[in-house]
Amino acid sequence: MQRIPHCLSYLLVVLLTALTNGACVREDNPVDTPTNNFETLWRIMDEKYCFFSYKAETYGLDWNEVYGRYRPRISDNMSDSQLFEVLCDMLGELRDGHVNLYSAADVGRYWSWYEDYPDNFNHEIQSSYLGTDYRIASGLKYKILDDNTGYIYYESFSSAIGEGNLDEVMDYLSLCHGLIIDVRGNGGGTLTYANTLAARFTNERLLAGYIMHKTGTGHNDFSTPEPEYIDPSNGIRWQKKAVVLTNRACYSSTNTFVRNMKVCPNVTIMGDRTGGGSGMPFSSELPNGWSIRFSACPMLDADMNHIEFGIEPDISVALLDVDIAKGKDTLIEEARHFLKQ
Amino acid sequence: MMNKLVRLCLLLTTTAASAITAAQENANRHTTNAILFGIGKSNLYDTYLSPFAYTGPHAAFLYETLRPTRWADGKVSVQTVFDGFGAYAASPAGNNREIGGMLNYSAGWHYNFNTACGLRIATGGSVHAGGGATYNLRNGNNPVQANARAYIAASAMAIYPLAIRNTQLHLRYQLTVPLAGAMFSPRYGQSYYEMSLGNYDHNVCFIYPGNAPSMQHFITVDLPIRKRTVRLGYRCDIFQSRVNGIDAHTWNHTFFIGYVRHLRIFSAKEAQKQPFIM
Repeated sequence: MQRIPHCLSYLLVVLLTALTNGACVREDNPVDTPTNNFETLWRIMDEKYCFFSYKAETYGLDWNEVYGRYRPRISDNMSDSQLFEVLCDMLGELRDGHVNLYSAADVGRYWSWYEDYPDNFNHEIQSSYLGTDYRIASGLKYKILDDNTGYIYYESFSSAIGEGNLDEVMDYLSLCHGLIIDVRGNGGGTLTYANTLAARFTNERLLAGYIMHKTGTGHNDFSTPEPEYIDPSNGIRWQKKAVVLTNRACYSSTNTFVRNMKVCPNVTIMGDRTGGGSGMPFSSELPNGWSIRFSACPMLDADMNHIEFGIEPDISVALLDVDIAKGKDTLIEEARHFLKQ
Repeated sequence: MMNKLVRLCLLLTTTAASAITAAQENANRHTTNAILFGIGKSNLYDTYLSPFAYTGPHAAFLYETLRPTRWADGKVSVQTVFDGFGAYAASPAGNNREIGGMLNYSAGWHYNFNTACGLRIATGGSVHAGGGATYNLRNGNNPVQANARAYIAASAMAIYPLAIRNTQLHLRYQLTVPLAGAMFSPRYGQSYYEMSLGNYDHNVCFIYPGNAPSMQHFITVDLPIRKRTVRLGYRCDIFQSRVNGIDAHTWNHTFFIGYVRHLRIFSAKEAQKQPFIM
């Protein structure tokens, strides 16, 4: 019987001897200098950003080359604002709206995905369609237009929508001959609402796309793409034609919503290409406390194509100056015409 | 400073474990039940949330029962511990915070034997299970890391009654070293959103000292004060892991104070002989 305690004692000694030989799991703790902040940022992106390979194919992004170009611009004598500018310039090479650097003074950003394109949206004119007697169900503004077309304006996926809201909206609009869902200018928000809303437009389970994640630090270390399905809602589902209006400012969760709606029957995407933003962003930080956000988990469409740079509409429609002069929204008018056919 | 403390604990452990010797006598059959409350310092590190360790104060509690069994002529004792902590830690730059917490339960069995000098040595094993989370107040889609683990551990305890003038103190040192088990972990860049879709990717990981070198040191002193027994304690919890490409550690140093109740367990047969027991 004494052998058991003896064995355990020896086991403990062996284990502890092994543990004391440098078994600490601990962080690298770089000093807060411009050089270390630059190196940390470059390494975080190198190990965790998810679109290096795709963007190398698309426009020749080479992250090592980027390092070589920006590293000489860093010196330990530079000010915080100078460092911030160089780091933001470097991050701009990624051409990603989900990449942001946050300091107490500013937010580094890449917004060319919509700033470089026409708005195809005039808020004043769009508001004239809603008028003042529209209804509001949580994040959804909706009304029945005078030609019996249902119109829903969803300006941010950060605004919550619940099943109860959607039941009420669908019930109210159920006598309309068609439905317009206007998500122009919707820059995204909570991803689950993109699925909640899309689930009202299918009667069967649909493959909407795929999601992956990084499994290691290499640029090509990804998991097997896992399918993402839209399951039909148990609430009231739309059975008639519907049009989703899009522009370049549709980003992130809105981009995913458009991806989901694209596979739904009776749904047509109309307007301009979406802005993209298909990488679910993660956060990290630098030694000086600045926060960094970056795309970490790529989402693909049902054909396994990247949608990081947006989704083409089924019908391209631009907002025309001649219509603006008349106080008309070309996209809404085209959608109404399409739904009557 | 934290690292030095950890290294000191590791060295103390090696020395103490080496001193364990075999001896056998009947174990003390009385049962102790302790409720302790503590404060201390946490060092929370998880590369899923941040490349840096967050440090800050924590509050903790510990509920412990130690009693003999009837196995091996009463030489085997059973120890159950339910404990938890909640920490509020700051980033190195001081502009962000993490809130962390964990609840743990363990049951251990020790074989007791006494040495000639009055030192009681107990060695054995224990099973542990725990769960909690660390929440980063600033992160977007990776704001939280769930912690869940279960493992078996080797455990050794030394108890020494020390008489100072007319006061009888009881000193105890206990070391626990996890040997094997399982823990939950997301994959390197896997989001909780993806896990909510049911996508499993090696999220339950086998742990052993090679990828989770961890240990726990517990030192207590029982002081008789009038008719009560007060317990002072210090516990060093080191739980570390390196799984799924994610490095993590929780280093807690906690100072406890509480009271001890001394109980006596009767068997059903003995109890029937006691007229005052219903």
